[in-house]
This record gives sequence, structure tokens and C-alpha cells, in this order.
Amino acid sequence: MSRAQFAEILRLFAANDVEFVVVGMTAGILHGAPVTTIDLDVVHRRSPQNVARLLRVLGELDAVYRHDPRQLRPEESHLSGPGHQLLVTRFGDLDCLGTIDEGRGYEELMPHTVEMRLSGGAAVRVLSLPALIEAKERAGRAKDLAALPVLRATLDERERR
Amino acid sequence: MPPTRADASPQTDRPDVDENGVDRAQIREMLRLTPEERLRRVEAFVEAALEIRELNEPRSVR
Repeated sequence: MSRAQFAEILRLFAANDVEFVVVGMTAGILHGAPVTTIDLDVVHRRSPQNVARLLRVLGELDAVYRHDPRQLRPEESHLSGPGHQLLVTRFGDLDCLGTIDEGRGYEELMPHTVEMRLSGGAAVRVLSLPALIEAKERAGRAKDLAALPVLRATLDERERR
Repeated sequence: MPPTRADASPQTDRPDVDENGVDRAQIREMLRLTPEERLRRVEAFVEAALEIRELNEPRSVR
């Protein structure tokens, strides 16, 4: 079983027209920050149609709740709410987040995203680096503050290019 | 290995390590990659780290 094939998860989401935004440290990595993470965080659109598409893909990924020994699968009601679904899949850990950053969902985040292309042409929306930095500043937790120097330095290096 | 130099990179005239201890040379290297290449690099690191962790987990004793 592979434990960190985040690009494969993203490619599968894109191929199935799942609407989502990559957030968290994976967004930072995609923007060029030399950091690491062991899970992929996405904020998904919570419309009934998109939740249905997401559920289908999660089924293909054999997704179950990762902190529950009962191997429970996520359901429509879970993914339709604002909460965080912490899952393990055959391609690694995946957090499907209804909202982040003081209740901001997919629609609120979309204006603050950029499109990135994966090999094969799949397009994914990624939270912009300035928006990621602002979200971590607002969150203010120790783990968010610890990431800020690297993210700010990455933004600075990008702007110098 | 963590960076130990704070002198200027031969290519840029900017320090390789900034005042916060952030390795700027590592960032510049990441910025030369495509987004997917950046992700693949982290994936490989995580896979290796998790494999080592599993190999060294204490085994249950009956």
C-alpha cells in the first residue's frame, strides 16, 4: 500500500470533476516551499452533486476514517457539513475539509486560488501563497506560526524571480 | 544535513540562509521544479520516512 501519492489523489479528483481547493502545507509545497507533510488537505465544494462525485472517488480510493478502528467510510452527511473528515486512502492520508480559516468554504476560497497543471493536463485549484500565509497568521497556532518563516521566504523568492 | 553557511550563493549574491534560518537556496531549487515535481519530491521523502518508522516500531510480544 502506498502512503504518500498525493498527485494520484489529485489526478483522480480532477478526472472525476470533483470541485476542490488544495490547502495546507501541500499547497505550500506546490508553490515551492521546501517543507513536508504526511497528509493532503482539500476543501471541497459541498453541493449535493459535488459531494456525490467526491464520494465516488473516495470509494475508489478505499477511504476510511483513519482514527477509527471500525474502518468506517465517509457518507454524504459527513461531507455535506463544515467539519473535517480525516481519512486514510490507498494513496495516503487525505483530509476532506468542509471549511477552514474561520468558516471559509470552497466558494469563499475560490477567489484566492490559482490553477496548477499536473502532468497529463489535469488542472487543480490551489490556495494562493499569500492567502495561505494569511490563513496561517489568523490561525495563530504554534504549528501554523512555525511554518510562516518558510512560507514568507518562499513568497519573497517567488517575487524576486 | 542542515545548512551551515550564511554566505552568499555564487549565483545570486543573496544569502543562502536568511536571518530566520530559512534555507533560501533550497527554496530556489524547489522553484526550479514544476508543481508536480515538487510534490513528487515530498512524496518520496514521506514514503521513505514512513518505511523507516515502520521498520523500527516495537513489535508486540506475546
